[in-house]
This record gives sequence, structure tokens and C-alpha cells, in this order.
Amino acid sequence: MAKITESTRNEVREIVFAFFAEECEADKSHITDNTNIIKDLDGDSLMFLELIEIFKKKYNLDIELKTIGKYAVKHPVETIGQLIEMQMLIIEHENRILELEK
Amino acid sequence: MAEDTLAFVFPAFIADYRDDPSGNMPEFRQIFLDYLGVAASVADPALLSFHAVSNPFLEDELRNQYLTYIYGCSCAETLRRSGIIPSVIAGYSMGIYAALYFSGSVSFETGLLFITTAYEAIRASLPNKHYGMCGVIGLSDKDIRELAGRNNLDLMIVNRNNDYSFILAGNSFHINVFLLKAREEGALHARSLGVTIPYHTNLLSEAARELSKTVYTADVRSPKIPVISVLRQDSIGDAERARTEVVKNIFNPFNWLETQQQIFNSGIHIFTECGPSLALKKNSKFIPGTGKFVSWDSLVSDDARFAST
Repeated sequence: MAKITESTRNEVREIVFAFFAEECEADKSHITDNTNIIKDLDGDSLMFLELIEIFKKKYNLDIELKTIGKYAVKHPVETIGQLIEMQMLIIEHENRILELEK
Repeated sequence: MAEDTLAFVFPAFIADYRDDPSGNMPEFRQIFLDYLGVAASVADPALLSFHAVSNPFLEDELRNQYLTYIYGCSCAETLRRSGIIPSVIAGYSMGIYAALYFSGSVSFETGLLFITTAYEAIRASLPNKHYGMCGVIGLSDKDIRELAGRNNLDLMIVNRNNDYSFILAGNSFHINVFLLKAREEGALHARSLGVTIPYHTNLLSEAARELSKTVYTADVRSPKIPVISVLRQDSIGDAERARTEVVKNIFNPFNWLETQQQIFNSGIHIFTECGPSLALKKNSKFIPGTGKFVSWDSLVSDDARFAST
């Protein structure tokens, strides 16, 4: 289990904001935690997949995509803030993220 | 732009026109209207009522194919008249017709004839429309096969866009069950493609035989610009091979991932999608290499515009 520091949290936020600003050709300063990924940014699941791959490589994560998918079914992600929170949990718990349900 | 750096890729269907960049391009508009007029006169008069917002024909499988073809040909022709010629071309699924047209292998009218004949032959051989296709993102090839096997679903993986993005086809009931199970299994995205034809499956082999009668009597020539086969990832070098490709394309699975990799590996690193959306661009992000997609309108620089516009 990885320990999440303030530095990690800031890094994840920076990556997520920069990613969506570039992918969605949006002004980064207009993206907030409350920005809806689909409605406001026209984001899609391929972007989500790409972002997961970025974090898997950066933090050398042991997690299967379908594990994230199962978790997301019960904890749908709509906003940038929710996505960052999910990503923090993924980094912290990796494949054990589903055990948080038990 | 150097000719040896660019590939044109043609989509199969149009999902929407939200990202359509052609609104500010009068040269495209005129070419599109010219092609639309020809298509209306030789294939379907109703095409003249097309409007990207009020009447886009998105739900009409045949007219959507016509419009995708017309748009793709118009887009590529706009680029050609601006002096932008690709060194290779590829057609995603039914995008093959526009690819062959632009390569010089068939006339615009012959491309329309192939689309019409294939559709009518498919409808004649599968009249009940109990079929469909779906896309799934987030599961592996192994996950999908195991899921289908566990639930006795008779489906085929007909295309791999990347290692976690696939297209399946088959019986529509099985498709619907698969979509439910795929979401339970952890797919990030699983949805029907909204078609009633199981393209790229052997369910269309009878239709392919019927299509071949038209294809083998039509005027088909060797492509002047190399067209990369999405079935075998090699170059469609002559007329005979072009004919074979058109017929085999409708009832054989293809591999878009390997097709793009093949193009990358041949040293071509810039792609442009000859369509109104960005579906192929999005898929390309997962393909190893240094290639990138550029929007087709950005290739038409102001100083390259037609003198007539």
C-alpha cells in the first residue's frame, strides 16, 4: 500500500488538469474540481483509459483495468475532483481497491 | 508538406458532426455538394435533403454509409486540390470504398455501386435485422473471449483498435447480454454501435458472394496511391487484389491496430482522418510510435486555398 503524501496529491492534480486541458483543448484555468468530464469537457472513456495508463506507468501500479472498471460501476466518476479522488485510491490500494467495499 | 510523411485514413460511419471542421471551408462545401448531387442522381435522391444538423441520416445505415463516403471523398479531394497528397491510404472497415476511390482504383460512381450492392445483398441474406455490433473498452482480448465463453455468447471479435478496445459483432440478443456482462466485468465502456448488420463476420459470406458478381464486372484499376489492407496489413497493389479486398472486407475481421502500426513502421508518422469526427484519432493514442493525427482542415493552409474561393 503506497503512502499518499501532499506532494503525490498535488502531482496527480497537476497531471489530471494538464491532461484534460490538452486532450479537450480547454483552458486549464477554467478546469476545476467541479468540472464535469463529459458534459463540460466532452471527455470519453478512451481518455480515461489513457489517463489510467499514464498513472500506471508513472507510479508503477499493479492494477487491472477491469478492476478499476468494477470499482467505477459502484463509484461513478463524473467530475474532475471525483476522478482525482479515485486516482488517489488507485495509487494507494492498487488491485486491492475493491476490498475497500468489504 | 512532403508527400512521404502523410497517410489519409477513411472512417466507416459518421457518429455525429460535433467536431466537423468543414463549416468554414467553402472549397470543401462546393466539392461536397457536387459529390452529393452525383450520389443523389445515381444512388438515392433523398440524399439531397441531407443537413448535418436537421437531417444527418445518422440512424439510417445505408445513407450514413453514403454520407461517410461522400464526406471522405470530399475531404480528400479538398486536400488534393490544395496540393496535399498522401503516400498511403487506409479505409477503416467500410471506409475501404472511399480509400479505393481516392487511390484511383474505382470511380466515385463505382464506389457508390459497391456500397449499394453490398447493403442490398446483406439485407437479402439477413432480412430479419436480428444482428448488431458493439464496442468495448477496458477489457482484454482474453477477458472478452472468456466472458463470451462463460455465457455461451456466439459473438466474434471483428476488430482490435488497441489492446483494450475491440469491436464485436453477431446476434443482437447476444450483443445485449454481452454488454451487460462486460460492464459487470469491469469494462470502462461498452455500447452498441446502433447497426443491424454484423459486418466482418462470416454471417455475411453469402452476401459477399452476391457482391462479388458486381465487383468482378466493375471497372476496377490498380491503385495509384498505395492502399493498406486492414485485413492483411499489406499494400493492395493491383486491380485484382482491390476486387478481392472489397469482397473479403465485408465478411472477414480486420485489425486497425496492426494496420496503423504497419503504416507507422513504414516511416509515415502523420495521419489525417478524412471524416467529420475524431474517432480514429482517439484510437491512435494507444499505438506505440511517434505518429500523430492532425485535423484535415489544418492541412489546408490559407495560402494553399483555391483561387476560386
